[in-house]
Amino acid sequence: MPLRQGSSHQSGTLEAPPVKSRNTLHALTSAALVLPGLLITPGHAIGKDRINFQYSRYQEGERNLYGVPSLKPISADVLHGSGIFSLTDRTKFTFGYTQDTWSGATPVTTTPLATDGGNRAYFNNGVVVGASPLLQSNVLLDRDLNPIGRDPITKQSSGVVDPRSVMVMSSASPETRRQATFGLSHEWNEVAINVAGGFSRERDYKSSFGSIGGRLDFNQKLTSVKFNGGYTHSEIGAILDHDSSPYITKTAYASQIVNRGGSEILQGNRQDWVTNVGVSQVLTKNALLDVNIGYTHSNGFQENPYKTMSVIFIDPAELNNGQSGLVTGKVRALIEQRPDIRNQVALNTKYIQYISPFNAALHLGYRLSVDDWGINTHTFDANWVQPLGNGWTLTPRIRYYSQDAASFYRPYLFSQQVFQKQAVDNLGREIFFNPKNPNEQYFRDGFFNYVDQNGNRIDDALSQTVQPKFVTYDAGKLPENFSSDHRLAGFGALSGGVVLSKMLGKGVALEAGFEYYTRASSMQIGSGNNSFADFDYYVANAAIKFDIEPTTSLPMGGSSGSSGSHVHTSSHHHHKIPPAGIMFGHMLDKPGDFMAGYRFMYNWTGGNMMHGAHSIADQIIVDQGCSDAVPCRFTPTFMNMRMHMLDIMYAPTKWWNVMLMPTFMDMDMNLRRLSGAPPPVPGVHEHTGAAGHETGAVGDTYFSSLVKLINIPGHRVHMNLGLSAPTGKVDIELRRMAKIDGGLIHFGMQLGSGTWDFMPSLTYAGEKSRWSWGAQLSGVKRLEEKNKSGYRLGDMFQATTWGGYDLTQWLTASVRGAYTLQGAIHRDFDSFNARIGPMDFPANYGGQFWDIGLGLNAIIPGGRFAGNRFGFEWIQPVRSDFNGFQLDRQGSLAATWSYQF
Amino acid sequence: MRKIRYYATILGSILAMGIGGTGCVNIAPWERGILAKPEMELDPHPLQSELQSHNYSSREAAPSHKSSSGGGGCGCY
Repeated sequence: MPLRQGSSHQSGTLEAPPVKSRNTLHALTSAALVLPGLLITPGHAIGKDRINFQYSRYQEGERNLYGVPSLKPISADVLHGSGIFSLTDRTKFTFGYTQDTWSGATPVTTTPLATDGGNRAYFNNGVVVGASPLLQSNVLLDRDLNPIGRDPITKQSSGVVDPRSVMVMSSASPETRRQATFGLSHEWNEVAINVAGGFSRERDYKSSFGSIGGRLDFNQKLTSVKFNGGYTHSEIGAILDHDSSPYITKTAYASQIVNRGGSEILQGNRQDWVTNVGVSQVLTKNALLDVNIGYTHSNGFQENPYKTMSVIFIDPAELNNGQSGLVTGKVRALIEQRPDIRNQVALNTKYIQYISPFNAALHLGYRLSVDDWGINTHTFDANWVQPLGNGWTLTPRIRYYSQDAASFYRPYLFSQQVFQKQAVDNLGREIFFNPKNPNEQYFRDGFFNYVDQNGNRIDDALSQTVQPKFVTYDAGKLPENFSSDHRLAGFGALSGGVVLSKMLGKGVALEAGFEYYTRASSMQIGSGNNSFADFDYYVANAAIKFDIEPTTSLPMGGSSGSSGSHVHTSSHHHHKIPPAGIMFGHMLDKPGDFMAGYRFMYNWTGGNMMHGAHSIADQIIVDQGCSDAVPCRFTPTFMNMRMHMLDIMYAPTKWWNVMLMPTFMDMDMNLRRLSGAPPPVPGVHEHTGAAGHETGAVGDTYFSSLVKLINIPGHRVHMNLGLSAPTGKVDIELRRMAKIDGGLIHFGMQLGSGTWDFMPSLTYAGEKSRWSWGAQLSGVKRLEEKNKSGYRLGDMFQATTWGGYDLTQWLTASVRGAYTLQGAIHRDFDSFNARIGPMDFPANYGGQFWDIGLGLNAIIPGGRFAGNRFGFEWIQPVRSDFNGFQLDRQGSLAATWSYQF
Repeated sequence: MRKIRYYATILGSILAMGIGGTGCVNIAPWERGILAKPEMELDPHPLQSELQSHNYSSREAAPSHKSSSGGGGCGCY
């Protein structure tokens, strides 16, 4: 069993030995260590039972586009939850869930800066306001193939050689990835094994993985040997960008591309096998060393399907015509081609030294990796873990990384052949063909009349349909593999950061981290010359960790020595809590009590489009759903909203509780074209392709103050005065497509209200023997006239009442009725929104709703997980009276977990 | 591939020497108090290292150190 001295409290197993005569912590520790099977394995303490929540934000800096305005750089919002639970004394179950949503501009390819395309600036009233990626372009070259420069904005030729390269950037609408992992581990005295698995899902990339590993301890646990093997299977279904796909050459992947829902989907799959062996060795009582070697074999589709290589095609006839003038290269974008097989070997070493004068630990790491793509890497890192007393720990950190370029990495390629030319037969005649019967070939005679193989003129009807036959470049003259992905280039990176953690009382710890990372080709060991790809990013994160070490069952029969940190459950009477869909519905009773919880709410809309209380035909939506001036063209087919909330509640006094609830939202929806909608108009936003829309990030944050008004046996009344802070974004935009700005995404897909809101509620709860009941009145009053995007959500009022019955001592079933009144949106977006359907019009929000909720609440009465509460409630719409035109409600689910310390 | 085998052999030898050379260390259980401190753990901040390695692996070509536990995602940005 692991022992972590210095933590707020220790595992029950270790507190058993009767060593009252020796009272110091040191003596206690030593004694515990010599008990059979309890000798710890240094460095390998498996975490204690705990639950972690973490939020992080990744923000990249702007890329250098030489004066052309940079598109919004990539950012990602990541939510992570994980837990470790002891199933028995020696068996632990772990799980993890990660959800990240990213958006922003990514490089699609690299070209010479001197092309007439690339990042093509666009203007508004003569001012450069943005840039569009132009993947096909022309470049002037001298006879040594040096590009002749052009102004990056005006594209006017400068007449002199300009060797600089630039990345061509394309922006992306938000996309979400979700990953779940599960693990099981078991420890014997000198052996441990673990199995783990999981899956990751995003719209275009699905992977599943599994691993098995173990550890053997020798030499009184001073030496541990570790091994691990894993397998990952991934399936790629890349939805090729509707906007740029016509300009991308996909010839090499023709057999892997399918058409679905109006989108081209590039399919592939890959497998990764990983093995690791390593050893941890205690060197002295102050130092240990960890060394391991890993081998990874990957095969299959390893390309990034969205990255292309710019190939500059030069007509050899023009190049070799004996003259000295400039030649024109045609720049074409070919989807990158990486080898199908990759083998990587990595050596990791870590040395940890305790620094007595500072009471700190220094962690030094070095990592070498080599692979058969030619990428050798070196990583050096150092962490100084400094405990500061009072539960604080500060860890500054620095890291340096350097990699060589892949053997097939080039910023761009030259090919001395024509990209496409008209086919000629062996007599030198240009070939034409009939698209309905491609095997028949035609030619033109001296009078430009179409003739067949035998020189006979063909009839006029047929000659109207014939088309020139083209042959494209010879792929055999290109390298077998090529990529301009800057992650395969040679570069160095320096990063530094700090982690601050604080152990609060009652088994709660806070952790925050910050890191700044800068990449530069000049920092590569050796040299680098691709500074056009330099960039930087920062990551900031905050985490809260709840220690839920079981205290009720002490396997060795000793008394609990956990210094009263969370002795609870059976002796402590818990009031019944209201159904899971009720927020701010109960209070803590004792001063100093602390509760942590997690609340998940899922809301599903779909099915028919409704007007008032009735479903409605497409044509009426087209005519009336938007505005008199603009007919509706699209309508939602579904929308899912998921909200993750952290409930943190504290009781300063017995009549007053405070509460903090950060939220994380994510949503996805799709649209369909209304039947009877007017046809697409050039210059007007269209929703095209199979992909829907996704958003996700931090939502609004709730602060609350709860005041107990009545507390007599069987009856309680409390008032909640809540505030919602506008931390959720209300200015999320869709990407620019087909030379049209996407504009702000639909109201319902924005992540917050954007205004400070007042959220009062009054709750009554009663109970008698197995019965419980209650009622709540609640409201949301927007405190500002408009948010930063110009609109304000409607106010809301809800009345609800419920009854519950205890099925067993630990399980309560409930039935609830609710009435909700919600106002329409006030004002409107004050910047561009595409206005393609009813969801883009403020009047089509809100209404009156009647629901029935069916719920279950459980509290684990004893055993390892005593005191954990769970609640589930399904909320079924009974009647709806929508304002304007809206998608029907299908129901919502509320699920809660909470634990009182 | 030949190059990789060459490196693998070298790394293997280093590992073997590491194990062999340290087998004679002896530290009594009551001298292990410092080694049991949380800051002496191999990974004192697992939430942080998970996050860092995810970011590095989406921006660098080295094999992810978390690859043994799997973990998906295209990182196609």
